[in-house]
Amino acid sequence: MERSYIMSMDAGGTMTDTFFVDGDGRFVVGKAQTTPQDESQGFAQSCVDALQQWGTTPEAVFPSVQTGIYSGTSMLNRLLERKGQRLGVIVSAGLEDYFQLERGIQTYLGYSYQDRLKVVTHRHNVPLVPRSRVYGVRGRVDVFGDEAIPLYEEEARAAVRRLIAEEVKGIVVNLLFSYANSTHEDRVRAICAEECGAAGVTIPVYLSSDLYPVMQDFARLNTVTVEAYAAEPSRGQFRKIAGRTRGYGADFELRVMASHGGTISTEAKELARTLISGPIGGMVGARYVAEKLGVKNVVCSDIGGTSFDLGLITNGGFTVKSQPDMARFMLKLPLVDIDSVGAGTGSYVRVNPVSNRIEIGPDSTGSRVGVCNPQGGVETVTLSDCNVLLGYLNPNNFLGGEVILDPEKSLAAIKAQIAEPLGLDPYDAAEGVLSLFEDHLRNEVYARVFGKGYAPEDYHLYSYGGGGPLHVAGYAKGLRFAKVVVPAWAAGFSAFGCACADFEYRMDRTVNVAVQSPELNAAGFKAGFDGYARAVNEAWATLEQRVEDEFSKSGVARDRVEFRHFGCVQYVGQLNDVEVQVPFERVKTEADVREIITRFEEAYAKLYSRAATSPELGYLTTTAVITGVVPVEKPRLPAEPLAGPEPSPDALKGTRKVYREGKWHDAKIYHMERLEPGNRLSAISVIESPSTTLVIPLGFEANLDEHRLFHLTEV
Amino acid sequence: MSDAIKFMIRNNYEATPGIKHGDVFCNNNSMIGDVHTADVHTIIPIIVGDELVGWAAGVTHEIDVGGIEPGSMCYGHADRYGDGLLVSSERVGENDEFYAHYLQRCREGVRAEMYWVLDEKTRLAGCQMVREQVMRTVEEVGLDTFKAFMREAIEEGRRSFLARSRQMLVPGVYEAPSFTDLPWSEDANVHRLARKDMMMHAPLQMTVGGDGRLDLSFEGANKWDFHSFNCAPSPMQGAMWVQLTQTLWNSDKINDGAYFATSLKLPYGSWCNPDYEKVSTTLTWFFLIPGFSGMIRAIGRSYFARGYVEDISASYCTSWNLMQGGGINHYGVPSAFTNFEVSCGGTGALYVKDGETSCAAMWNPEGDMGEVETWEALEPLIYLGRGMKPSTGGPGKQRGGTGSEALRLLFKTDSQTIFNGGEGHVFSSYGIFGGYPGNSGYRHNMHDTDLKARFDKREPYPVLDGDPEASQISALCTAAREDFDMKAIQGPQEYDLYLSMNRGGPGLGDPLEREPEAVARDVNEGHVLERFARSLYSVELLKGTGELFTADLPATEALRAEMRKSRLARSKPAAEFFAEEKQRVESRAVIRPVADMYRSSMKLSPEWAAKYRGFWALPDDWTY
Repeated sequence: MERSYIMSMDAGGTMTDTFFVDGDGRFVVGKAQTTPQDESQGFAQSCVDALQQWGTTPEAVFPSVQTGIYSGTSMLNRLLERKGQRLGVIVSAGLEDYFQLERGIQTYLGYSYQDRLKVVTHRHNVPLVPRSRVYGVRGRVDVFGDEAIPLYEEEARAAVRRLIAEEVKGIVVNLLFSYANSTHEDRVRAICAEECGAAGVTIPVYLSSDLYPVMQDFARLNTVTVEAYAAEPSRGQFRKIAGRTRGYGADFELRVMASHGGTISTEAKELARTLISGPIGGMVGARYVAEKLGVKNVVCSDIGGTSFDLGLITNGGFTVKSQPDMARFMLKLPLVDIDSVGAGTGSYVRVNPVSNRIEIGPDSTGSRVGVCNPQGGVETVTLSDCNVLLGYLNPNNFLGGEVILDPEKSLAAIKAQIAEPLGLDPYDAAEGVLSLFEDHLRNEVYARVFGKGYAPEDYHLYSYGGGGPLHVAGYAKGLRFAKVVVPAWAAGFSAFGCACADFEYRMDRTVNVAVQSPELNAAGFKAGFDGYARAVNEAWATLEQRVEDEFSKSGVARDRVEFRHFGCVQYVGQLNDVEVQVPFERVKTEADVREIITRFEEAYAKLYSRAATSPELGYLTTTAVITGVVPVEKPRLPAEPLAGPEPSPDALKGTRKVYREGKWHDAKIYHMERLEPGNRLSAISVIESPSTTLVIPLGFEANLDEHRLFHLTEV
Repeated sequence: MSDAIKFMIRNNYEATPGIKHGDVFCNNNSMIGDVHTADVHTIIPIIVGDELVGWAAGVTHEIDVGGIEPGSMCYGHADRYGDGLLVSSERVGENDEFYAHYLQRCREGVRAEMYWVLDEKTRLAGCQMVREQVMRTVEEVGLDTFKAFMREAIEEGRRSFLARSRQMLVPGVYEAPSFTDLPWSEDANVHRLARKDMMMHAPLQMTVGGDGRLDLSFEGANKWDFHSFNCAPSPMQGAMWVQLTQTLWNSDKINDGAYFATSLKLPYGSWCNPDYEKVSTTLTWFFLIPGFSGMIRAIGRSYFARGYVEDISASYCTSWNLMQGGGINHYGVPSAFTNFEVSCGGTGALYVKDGETSCAAMWNPEGDMGEVETWEALEPLIYLGRGMKPSTGGPGKQRGGTGSEALRLLFKTDSQTIFNGGEGHVFSSYGIFGGYPGNSGYRHNMHDTDLKARFDKREPYPVLDGDPEASQISALCTAAREDFDMKAIQGPQEYDLYLSMNRGGPGLGDPLEREPEAVARDVNEGHVLERFARSLYSVELLKGTGELFTADLPATEALRAEMRKSRLARSKPAAEFFAEEKQRVESRAVIRPVADMYRSSMKLSPEWAAKYRGFWALPDDWTY
């Protein structure tokens, strides 16, 4: 058999999904219960479930699997449940209360706007390491990297001895300005080694200057601590899963989806960046599809049960945030820029008794669907209830019919909770709720595109996830996107996306080096050139070496790696930088610096309008960034012959009454899988697959193209 | 900002200087409409056709405004002429660009001018984005619909506010006065007109109407003075709304509708509505923060009566010691700084739990103290430490949130002015239901120290001050001069020490009702100094395993019984207490600044004087 399968898996909190694509772009999705103690068991079950749909087995397929990608939530759960490793922490003296003070922002991260305003709701996090295992060591390096106070080595030694006695499984070291001068941290590591040697124990040491050499001591401490606390223990799980694949005869290296949008080895040094990968998969998949179709700009939108995720692909790339927050921690990790709005299909709908206003969310029932779910125990109306009541969601097709929903329950609840308090007919009330929801999303979509300096006309809109296709017409309406696209495999799009990711490392290093504007201060520019070039070039060289070291763990030689060079630039005095890719490997001439400045000015003006440009302040490069990419085998897009515009009779399931614009209509119901490329669907059509539903409402039509992408157009 | 816009309309800016598309206005005059000089506004009109349909505006706190001393909110001078660059709803640009001469004036008028200019530009860019969004909406829905919607949104805001207030509050009159001190008689750093001991009187009264209206009055506030803490009506409005939006009205749709459901009475001539326009207003917050602390407790009492116990807070802490200043910095250039760690004080105790450690500020619920490395990039002061400050949270059944302190070492500079802003002799925010206030302030700075020599010899040096009665600073550092109470330190040198301390929140309920184990935990975790377990909470501690304490329950019970007995023994009938206190009033047995304060209040407000005399049953002509 041709070696052409691609496998990706997503080990969620309850279910483990596996996704197999063959060389022709055909795919199957398998599901099994997640087994947290040994995730490889659930993985094996899920593989069996997937492959039996093709009438085959893991043993038959795995020898032909070329790429295998892991994503999962176990690391995150370990963090949320505070079930990570027992650690000790060494910090600069006087800062031992880091986890007690945190930063105020960590007391309201993830809150709705209303709760952010309301101080009585703010709460500190439960520390990952108790105060009693955090030790301070005197000594200081300053902002310039100069030693201001020598290291008090005996204090470090005493701290290490106590941590050894406390039987910690790892020691995190985070001293101030270690990214600028790591000698104090290096010395602490040496002392750890000496003391552990003397005590006859082995305790891994995690240095901030080694793992995350970037500015901002608290976020850096969080990141290194999360790495040691929650990420490190995942290596064991990865080995078990990899072991299982080898047992099936595979010889690929299992890789993990990482927050910067690429995949990394399970042996990577910086594993914490695989903490969150779910929504990123969709972005990577969208970028891949767009590239195949020659499209440069895409708005990616994904509606799940609890949130609406939005991300932008511009000129074929996405932006990466360097200071994201995850699980209520400020971190220094690269994360694909995705905005999440607390509104999904499971969001609760209520009438505010004070204002008599309909309010959607921000809380949601998640996977329990709504009042219509007889097993859900939900009492408050959700958006899904509105969709069921109005006929958009097939009560007998939820999760392919695994859960039978009861529209009568939705009706009773909507009547009592929404319609009667407002004096409305329940169907009008439900339609009103959905249009409010879609208007809200539409405003979000527009604001995000506009806020980044673009217009919808320049973009395609991709919609996927379980709930995206259900509402896409509503949130795309009137925005004049160049195209609105729904992949027929919308429900599995994240898993598909993970399989589309390159093998890619990304390393960041704070440099904080400024140059003057060559136009406004030519002398200053010339005077600063040498120092600037040296700082940036040295950082890039160090980072390239680190990328090379990481690839070498997977047996990939340097000459196979494509390095890309970036700088994060801002005007001197600003707080936020803009990442720009540069077309060279080293800053050699003044023209190179001008190129960096030009690229920054272009990106900045796009983002903040021309009025805000301030070249007279000079330009600060805060961070040097290197990515190293090795292209890998990716799923092929389906390419099927075109049939006629009329769907074949066996694609039509029948008709159903749906409520729209104040009256009932007969909607045609289709099997999504049985529609053929070339088919044209008119309003009102509802296209169903086991995990997603695409609605073509009045005023729209849709075509299915040869890649099995639905194109939705306003008529 | 809305007051600045209203000022422009009231003063017929439509005729002169004219208002047209692309105009840019700036304001930082709090007598017109702003909280204080450091808050700089950019305001642009939104014009559809030839009709002015709205405004887009943005505000930033500038790091320096060119005052007589560096730092964004300098004080110690007598009047506005030391406040710095003042822009009074002025047109500063056209065609979506600033006038070159305006930017030139700013560059010359302030320190760290790059921040001012950068902020001007980014505010303008933000306003333009808002304007574009509004224009798009108007285009989409039509101007008439847009205008109708705006009016309906405002009316809806008014009605919702009233409904919310009716739902959550009990109608009636709530009294919640507060005070703060300015002990400046001996401080040679301040202007001669301000060199006296002063007290601020904020007799806040909140009236909730049966229809839900909320009326706030400061009738009885004492006179403005030659300091920088005077407030115009606009800052008072601002302070009221930052309180309401954190409590009763935490809505994402805040507009002038709610404004129409409230009122604010500010006696003319007082510190909160000066009759002299040239007063200094750089640091209005110094009076606003204490002045409004009673409002949260008044609302809390009302919540209690309604049963909304989860929302009850003992109020907030004050935001000091406010650290700001400047001079030649560690990059060798003249600069200024304002450290916003003060945005994270300990929060007030709640009815249902303790306050949070280092969390928020009265003026910003979304507090964030930032990172040590970020502050050190901006300020020529090294952190020797930043940690929890024990026993700063107010004792109570629920403890106030713990404050923090940072010990800063002057490094790579020898010419800074650093302010020591904060109250010291009074509590400006009290506890509730028997809870105690959080700490008041103290200052502790060291000049001409031996620290360099200590570093070289690897001898211990202070990283925090800790318990001021066993000061780590005094124990581990020798200095030629030790400062405790000055407006500012000036002309310090390298290796001097500056203590920056943030307050803890007030407590809720009687400390004798606090769970003894919670007190032991407080001591173990550094929230409460060991000696206060007994003196404040009547809890006897036992050394448990290791260094940790546990509560000795039988001994605690006995101690508490004794304490209750002693309280009873000290108690007296209310009438007797009233008679004694009245005697104190009649004999005017108060210190001079307090007498001055009351005299000023009575002179300024016959209404309040009558209330005061009525309460103490004093003759009609009685005064301090």
